[in-house]
Amino acid sequence: MVLRCRRRDETAFEELVNRWEPRLYYYLRRIIENEDAVWDVLQETWLAVFQSIRKLENPQKLGPWLYRIAHNKAISVFRKENRHVQLTDEQIPDHYENHTDILIDKERAELVHRLLNKLKLGYREVLTLYFIEDFSIGEIAQITALPEGTIKSRLHYAKNKLSEALKGANNA
Amino acid sequence: MPESEDKKVFAKNLLAQDSPHADKQVQHKEALFKKIKHRVRLRKVVVSAVYIALFSVAFWASRQPEYTDNVVHSICWGAVSLHILLWFLIYFLRGLYRILAETIEQAPGRNEKQPWRKQDRFITVVAVLVFAFATFLLYRSFLFTDPLKAASTAAGIFWATVFFLFWYPFGTASVAAKLWLEHKRMQLYMTSPEQDDIRVSAGCGGKDNTK
Repeated sequence: MVLRCRRRDETAFEELVNRWEPRLYYYLRRIIENEDAVWDVLQETWLAVFQSIRKLENPQKLGPWLYRIAHNKAISVFRKENRHVQLTDEQIPDHYENHTDILIDKERAELVHRLLNKLKLGYREVLTLYFIEDFSIGEIAQITALPEGTIKSRLHYAKNKLSEALKGANNA
Repeated sequence: MPESEDKKVFAKNLLAQDSPHADKQVQHKEALFKKIKHRVRLRKVVVSAVYIALFSVAFWASRQPEYTDNVVHSICWGAVSLHILLWFLIYFLRGLYRILAETIEQAPGRNEKQPWRKQDRFITVVAVLVFAFATFLLYRSFLFTDPLKAASTAAGIFWATVFFLFWYPFGTASVAAKLWLEHKRMQLYMTSPEQDDIRVSAGCGGKDNTK
């Protein structure tokens, strides 16, 4: 499909859009609140993809590459709208428990979705990428242009926060 | 259910919590493809316009009486139009070569990275440098007063162009041959049902993969 897109095949590009749009939309919605802005960013993302798909050397890395473009576009919009807001302003503790198993429960998607929106952007973003694409730490680091160590700690901290919130929701 | 399956279902359920509205999606797609078509058309128009304009100006200039009277200018303008024409051909041949090379790269069972990209990048850089240098030499030949010297410079620059005119067709031919061999290899690996029947009845099923 990537090869066909490189040859400017419109049907292939339409297939690409159909396949990735819902996921990119979900991801962008976690970064930008305004729905119209999300559609604008999505359109800019696809135009950039169409323009530069020939630069993608390894078609197997299409996913991280698409998210990287979407991330860059979304962050610039986010920064314009929230000039003084930092992406993460919470201190990550050195020691925390690992609750990864609690989160992957397919029946809890609705609750996770609600709680995900309550997290701060930096955590919300890495967790969204982890949940919807199952990207590795390295791939998330590539997308967000952050060091792997930062992603690792953000991911663990976000998972912990979410599992605490899930526990709280269950007890309530 | 394996963990990966669970993750997939979870991701699907999560996406369903905030999926785009169908109407908006259709509207967005229409606008997107309209923009893409517009951009593609604009790009084609701009590239064609620049090329046609350059070629026409060069050709028109070579036919002008004041230039045809001046032998040096007549030679140089003729060389300019040929220069543009040949480099456009090289650009087209390069595109053809790249399409075939990418097709080979995508052939099933070929996971390793192909060295052609590095080579192509190098050749492209050299081609751009040669084009720039040749254009500069052509510009300089306008300043000559001796027609013989101008003709010799104009002819000299085409030697470098000829190299690329050979490089890309040969490259394309070798890539096409590789593509054909790839096709033959796949044909060989594809066993027909009759061959399978013969193997089974002869009791030579090959390697036992059940162990």
